[in-house]
Amino acid sequence: MSELALFLVRFGFMAVLWIFIFSIIGVIRADLFGQRVVGKATERSVPQVLSTPIIPAAPSGAVSVVSSSAGRSSSIATRLVIVEGEHTGKELPLSGRELHIGRAPNSDLVIDDEYASTQHAKLVLMNEDWLIQDLNSTNGTYLAGARVGTPAVVKLNTPVKIGKTVFELRA
Amino acid sequence: MSAVSAPRIRQVVPRSRNIEAALLLFVAGINAYELAQVQLSTIQILRSDFWLYWAPLAIASLVVHMILRRKASEADSLLLPIGVFLNGLGLAEIYRLDLAKQAANATDLFATKQVIWTIVALAAAGATIWFVKSHLSLRRYVFIAMVVGIALLISPMLPIIGRNINGAQLWIGIGPLTFQPGELAKIALVVFFAGYLVSRRDSLAVVGRKVFGVHIPRARELGPILAIWVLSLVVLVLQRDLGTSLLYFGLFLVMIYVATGRAVYVAAGLSMFIAGALVASRVMSYVSGRFDAWLNPFDQAHYDAVGGSYQLVQGIFGLAHGGIFGTGLGGGLPQLVPLAESDFIVSSLGEELGMVGLFAVLICYVLIVSRGMRISFTHQDDFSKLLAVGFSFVIALQCFIVIGGVTRVVPLTGLTTPLLAAGGSSLLANWIIIGLLLRISDSGNKRGDA
Repeated sequence: MSELALFLVRFGFMAVLWIFIFSIIGVIRADLFGQRVVGKATERSVPQVLSTPIIPAAPSGAVSVVSSSAGRSSSIATRLVIVEGEHTGKELPLSGRELHIGRAPNSDLVIDDEYASTQHAKLVLMNEDWLIQDLNSTNGTYLAGARVGTPAVVKLNTPVKIGKTVFELRA
Repeated sequence: MSAVSAPRIRQVVPRSRNIEAALLLFVAGINAYELAQVQLSTIQILRSDFWLYWAPLAIASLVVHMILRRKASEADSLLLPIGVFLNGLGLAEIYRLDLAKQAANATDLFATKQVIWTIVALAAAGATIWFVKSHLSLRRYVFIAMVVGIALLISPMLPIIGRNINGAQLWIGIGPLTFQPGELAKIALVVFFAGYLVSRRDSLAVVGRKVFGVHIPRARELGPILAIWVLSLVVLVLQRDLGTSLLYFGLFLVMIYVATGRAVYVAAGLSMFIAGALVASRVMSYVSGRFDAWLNPFDQAHYDAVGGSYQLVQGIFGLAHGGIFGTGLGGGLPQLVPLAESDFIVSSLGEELGMVGLFAVLICYVLIVSRGMRISFTHQDDFSKLLAVGFSFVIALQCFIVIGGVTRVVPLTGLTTPLLAAGGSSLLANWIIIGLLLRISDSGNKRGDA
């Protein structure tokens, strides 16, 4: 091959190399901005769209209501705040969909301690109330200090204890 | 589980897999370009054995891509293309060195072996993704991982199977096959450290006294650190390899730092390691020779000495010959450096691609490591976090030790450049690491907003 052709091939390769690098960086950029704009937008829009979420059949039809010190049942909780335990201060937004809690890594709220079960409990939205349902966990779920048997309504600012973690629902 | 009633706004084929497919096609094109450039500038024609070096990697990477589509559809989209790119670039350079050796009638050829190992390694990565359903199942094997890791580390010192190659006792050999078990030990040790630190994190981080504002852990918490320190010094003394021992000890220190957030462990560990290495450099001629060659490589006595700075200096001359834009693939003389295809692949590439090209290669490593760190952020549980941090950091530290050694930032040691250098064990271990990172990223992304 002639000198000129080799020269062009050489610099052509440099160009290809850096186009590759910049296309990867472009993907990372799209990733970041895609998540920030699209991810949050869909998340927020879910509660309004879903007026009547589907509730799986509860083991027993009875729903016991535990009174709490503060809280009006009319206002809907929008976030879950961890007030005690390993991830204190962390918040999870509540959309219309149910929320799985436990040690399983695909839970919405992962609680990694020895006192939590893999599928420990779940939070379900029914008629503007969040219900907590214990999924036959070994060590139980405690709502305002009392062990949850049948699915119970979680009022705002009422502590729910699972393992070493305590969280509350807040507006 | 939660998919039963939750509204899922999700495409059937995640976007990340399509990006990966596009990037893989791009990488296959780059590999073809490299090989064609090598053939055109060394033997002036395109020969049919071009396909032998191009097709296996392209096909194997597509197979792994298809496995990801089926088994880990939301895995990271960039790790596989970057890994294939580095593997292909290394293969092209090894092939280029083979052509130079064939012209000089030498027989120690590596490219065909590297092709075979590439297939084996990508198959292993695919099998990892296919059979390891969840990386959390690794947590059950934490103590098996410890035993396997230590057994792999000391196996080269055993009498019958141990082999001494180029002065380092790092290989085991059965018949004509040789293998570097220390590379696979990396994986076992990351799993062990992650599992161990998750269970001991609280006592390591909280228990202890404070003296002048510095947290002093209890003596019994320091036991395991001392054990790892002794193990890495044993590797240093008996296997005569500074790099390997630095790699494992550094890995442990970083993981303990990430798990506890206490810098005192890093400070204590580093000073212990430096003290040990200094004593070793006084006592052992091998270590002190490496230090002298590092500090005064251009000294004639060191240059001429057996095991002196000849190789290092030849590598530096190669880098200088390459300059900013390099000589072009096939245009330089990288075959003048001993072990140009394995330990010194970075200086070979630096000569032929120049600083501009070598920086692109370094950015690829930075991207792999940063993706690994990002994967660890997407997880909530500490075991997954530590696992991802450990795997990505072991790649980062190995790159630093090797490339730093070749460019005279740290003393030269005999480690391989991940994914790039000739060497089956290294390729196999690093592709399994990539496979595990892909597996971890899949479960991290599937859980939704993390």
